[in-house]
Amino acid sequence: MRVGSEQLMAAPLDVSPAETQASPEALIQGMGGRKIEGRSLGQIAWMRLRRDKVAMAGAVFIIFLILVAVFGPYIVQNPDTYHPNLLNQTLLSPNGPFGGISLAHPFGVDPQSGRDLLARVVVGSRYSLLIAFLATVLAVVIGVFFGLIAGFFGGWVDTLIARTMDVFLAFPLLVFAIALVGVFPSKATIGGVTLTGNTLRVLMLIFIIGFFSWPYMGRIIRGQTLSLREREFVDAARSLGARGPYILFRELLPNMVGPILVYATLLIPTNILFEAALSYLGVGIIPPTPSWGAMVSDAVQNQWYYIDPMYMFIPGMAIFLTVVAFNLFGDGLRDALDPKSR
Amino acid sequence: MIRRQISGLAALTAAGALALAACGGSSGGSSGTGSGSSSYNAAVSSVVNPSSAKGGTMTWDLNVTPDSTDYQNTYYAYMWDFVRLYSMPLVTYKSCPGKCGLQLVPSLATSLGTPSDGGRVWTYHLKPNVKFQNGHTVTSADVKYGVERTFAKSVLPAGPIYYQVLLQDNKYPGPYVDRAKNIMGLTSVTTPNPTTVVFHLNQPFADFNYVVAIPQSTPVEPSWDTGAHGGANFQLDPESTGPYQFQSYTLNKQLTLVPNKYWNAATDSQVKQLASKIVVNMNVNQSTVDQNLLAGYAQMDIHGLGVQAAAKDKILTSPSLKADSDNPVNGFLRFAYINTKVIPDVHCREAIEYAADKTTLQDAYGGPIVGGQIASTVMPPTVLGYKSFDLYKASSQPGGDVKDAKTQLQQCGKAGGFSFNIAYRTDTPGDPQAATALQAALKNVGINTTLQGFPTAKYYTNFAGVPAYVHSHDIGVAIGGWGADWPDGYGFLYDLSDGQTIIPAGNTNISEINDPVVNSLFNQATTTTNQSATTAIWPKIDMQIMKDAAILPIVYQKVLLYRPPNVTNVYMDDFYGMYNYAVLGLKK
Amino acid sequence: MITFIIRRLLATVLLLIIVSMITFAIFFLLPRLAGQTSYNLAAQYVGRNPIPSQIHAMEARLGLNEPLQVQFGRFLKGIVAGETYSSGPNRVHCPAPCLGYSWRNQQPVWPLLTSNIPVTLSLAVGAAVIWLVSGVAIGVVSALRRGTIIDRLSMGTALLGVSLPIFFTGALALLLFSFHWHIFNVQYVGITQNPLLWAKNLILPWVTLAFLYSALYARLTRAGMLETMNEDYIRTARAKGLPERTVILKHGLRAALTPILTIFGLDLGLLLGGAVLTEVTFSLHGLGLFTIQAINNSDLPEIMGVVLLASFFIVIANMIVDILYAAIDPRVRLQ
Repeated sequence: MRVGSEQLMAAPLDVSPAETQASPEALIQGMGGRKIEGRSLGQIAWMRLRRDKVAMAGAVFIIFLILVAVFGPYIVQNPDTYHPNLLNQTLLSPNGPFGGISLAHPFGVDPQSGRDLLARVVVGSRYSLLIAFLATVLAVVIGVFFGLIAGFFGGWVDTLIARTMDVFLAFPLLVFAIALVGVFPSKATIGGVTLTGNTLRVLMLIFIIGFFSWPYMGRIIRGQTLSLREREFVDAARSLGARGPYILFRELLPNMVGPILVYATLLIPTNILFEAALSYLGVGIIPPTPSWGAMVSDAVQNQWYYIDPMYMFIPGMAIFLTVVAFNLFGDGLRDALDPKSR
Repeated sequence: MIRRQISGLAALTAAGALALAACGGSSGGSSGTGSGSSSYNAAVSSVVNPSSAKGGTMTWDLNVTPDSTDYQNTYYAYMWDFVRLYSMPLVTYKSCPGKCGLQLVPSLATSLGTPSDGGRVWTYHLKPNVKFQNGHTVTSADVKYGVERTFAKSVLPAGPIYYQVLLQDNKYPGPYVDRAKNIMGLTSVTTPNPTTVVFHLNQPFADFNYVVAIPQSTPVEPSWDTGAHGGANFQLDPESTGPYQFQSYTLNKQLTLVPNKYWNAATDSQVKQLASKIVVNMNVNQSTVDQNLLAGYAQMDIHGLGVQAAAKDKILTSPSLKADSDNPVNGFLRFAYINTKVIPDVHCREAIEYAADKTTLQDAYGGPIVGGQIASTVMPPTVLGYKSFDLYKASSQPGGDVKDAKTQLQQCGKAGGFSFNIAYRTDTPGDPQAATALQAALKNVGINTTLQGFPTAKYYTNFAGVPAYVHSHDIGVAIGGWGADWPDGYGFLYDLSDGQTIIPAGNTNISEINDPVVNSLFNQATTTTNQSATTAIWPKIDMQIMKDAAILPIVYQKVLLYRPPNVTNVYMDDFYGMYNYAVLGLKK
Repeated sequence: MITFIIRRLLATVLLLIIVSMITFAIFFLLPRLAGQTSYNLAAQYVGRNPIPSQIHAMEARLGLNEPLQVQFGRFLKGIVAGETYSSGPNRVHCPAPCLGYSWRNQQPVWPLLTSNIPVTLSLAVGAAVIWLVSGVAIGVVSALRRGTIIDRLSMGTALLGVSLPIFFTGALALLLFSFHWHIFNVQYVGITQNPLLWAKNLILPWVTLAFLYSALYARLTRAGMLETMNEDYIRTARAKGLPERTVILKHGLRAALTPILTIFGLDLGLLLGGAVLTEVTFSLHGLGLFTIQAINNSDLPEIMGVVLLASFFIVIANMIVDILYAAIDPRVRLQ
């Protein structure tokens, strides 16, 4: 999985040249209908995946995380309640070792305000996952669409789209994202609905992150389309009278479900890191709503981590474990769908 | 700070300044009361390591970009403190610890200004034979030219605007436009002879000595203000009349000062020329600054806002380090404006005052030890005219008074609470935390707020300081900080609360207070010539503002300053709110 | 080959113009659409207590009320032919490439940028060398010892590197090595001033940054090596009796390395545009931190200047990589 400019979508391409060619072949072998021993490729892939313990561990963690994000906020205490009595009056660090861990506060409290850290991490997970997921969906939709069109039609359409992707990749993305957040108004009316505050900010973040990640997907899909369009089944479909859109969406696209799934899964952690980076730089979720990146930012920039390391460590580990889980699962998925890259 | 629309301002006597001079303390500047030994808070009221030893190179760190090193173009307390190393204004603050440092004493001038024409005309006589760094003698024309530079607002926009507001021909375009015609073209400043400069104001203004105490009254030769160090580039090598001059300056990175050989200690007793070199590093990360101070790589953090959490921990837990640190009140008030147009009913505003949790707000700024003292008045204790009172149980119930808050809500008809937005500066440490703390406390009584953060650079010019924006975005509360341009009640309260000071952009009366009682009290103060009567009026204004619940005072700010033990003549300067940088030296 | 280079050069110039137009549109046009007037904009640069006439004067001086295409035209002209500005008493010539006049600092932007470039350059190049060497080496070893404990450990560490946010690892490194143990003090010292101190002070950011990238490159190299080592020509080489080291390095690695090197060029280009997160975490005053400050100050000429410079690096890196690729692989040239 590509990341660059420290954690962002950078240079294009994907992994090794062999990948882009190997996958479709493996996929098509099973998918086209030549059932081997009555098992579809999907079933084969699933069996392989199941055997990959590491990937399964990642999947389990992901499911756990989703459950926490969805149901957690209803179980934990209020993340915005201040407990100044739990703080050392001189330094405002939490009383007690490890950042004030106790039965009442299993992760301790944060310095200066004494808010429950577990609650803040759990509520923060909701936003991190929500933004990363939806941004990835956006990137995938745009990327697949343009990638298909570019790869299939070729010619000037391809040049135009490919050059556009080049332009995107020529921008210092993080800088742009920061600047865009600064330039966006704080109140907007879309289709009669007025959005403000965090609702607007979350939508903005989804849009910006998704919008800047689509070339990653686009390039991959374009590459896939380019190699797939020469295959016999496309000729066969054409000879039966099928035209562009049908071939694109009914023949080519289903054959790319594998790579799309894989790269989408691998895109999610990048987007989680992107959102964390934006929060770290102060342009993410608006306080007091918690966000993992903002907590690390507070810990580092206000130097709390010197006197209360848990305040940096816990949200940092949350980001880390989430990203690792997705990476492991994505890697496992890729290996399952294409044994050659193992 | 004052505004353009001041009218009817009669004479506040110059007695204001003279009264301060009666505060005692030795004359002759910075010898003061030496202490020799160092202990916690020793430098708050005495000189630590008094010494006249010369030599050595000092390294000073600054964690931000200065607004400008051009003394006619800067508006920050730490820069006003710092530029005295290379500039000599007409009058200056006395260099001595404690309240003594709030007095005005003459600097370039032979004495504090002589008012005439009911306070409309101010005359200053210059000391003869004060020289620039190039050996030329300072004349009154140079003082005039310095003042003229402050009119070139499109080139030098950052400095205070007192001359533009008070002088008679405030349409003067500055000496850069049509240079041949406009140099020396400011008619309201006259120079009858080379050692006399006369200011002609458009209204009586008894606090004018305070105005010329601002570094902008430093003389500049027109011939220096051209070419490589002219206009916007003056900041790269400003002409010096002080003990030091620029040797080199890489903009916003590093500045090196070396002694000005034409400086004469006999004519300038408030500053010293001790170190043989001063290197200022700018834009250094605050945690690096702290580390440098503790490790001995730097001798001073000139931003004067104290050390951060990591260093605080080290210092306060080590007796030897603690003995080298001070925890003074620095004269700054941190507070929240409560806008009287967005929340028009005084009882609703009082509900906010009662509901605020002072302890969490205090914690936002660093807690009781290093953040500040819980405040219940607008004027901090360091300002002339301060009187203590507490209308909303800030001291007796610092955790917030929910019962009284709810009573007030009922009285304003919003028993179920109401909602508005809270504005704050995102990059000013403590403000974001204060905004969240206030939000949490208000929620307890049913007042639901949304936070809106803005960068400091645009806060006053585009958002909180623009009444139209405040109204259209329902900003009921704006978090702010305030330090006066000069230390009397007028200097502290006027721009915050007089009805005439409300303007469409860059507004400082963000609460939009336009209370006839307050306005008439200010009027009264300016027409009274009796010093003690004036001093008695300031607390009345303070009380009225609090009765209007237009300001929610949070803390009188305190800072934890560290002074490396090898620095001499260190003491807290009450006016600047930090150490006096103009007298420091190195131990041998 | 020459025509290929010329074509790419032209495409690069066009790309840069497009990037600058889009940047201009975003920073100058979007706020206008959101209702900001040039008066509001000028109000940010006039200090703390402006009088309306002051704001209007600033508007005029900075040319904020001119139509957008005029402002953009001036910007382009400045890059090519230079521009003169008033510093107050004089007019100062700002030679090409004049990337504008900073509104907040009242200084030409280009010298401000160039003073920050050495830091970013030191950071990027230093880290790049470290990550390339370490990443490739680890990847090769992992590929050759596939399935062994070394492989698993390396790939495990690689996973760590890819998944840890750099501000986290950087902060952790600072906490341990700088605060607690006082081994390093991250403060930039010019290489010409004191090369040893320059290197010593940059070790923490170099290693942190390199940790992230070498993880990636290790994974990539490993995948690539596994791919090539299965090829027929490797079998042939071995059959010919060549020593294993030659087989691995000369035949296996070289083929696997080509895509790695192209990606390396692109990553380096991106990093040169300003390693924002690293610079913020370690407080190094390079282009990244400059950008953040420019954005916070809404200093549009500075933003334009730094974005253009960053894009320039990226695009040039792209171009160099393409040319190298074309030089190596004749099939590309024919496109």
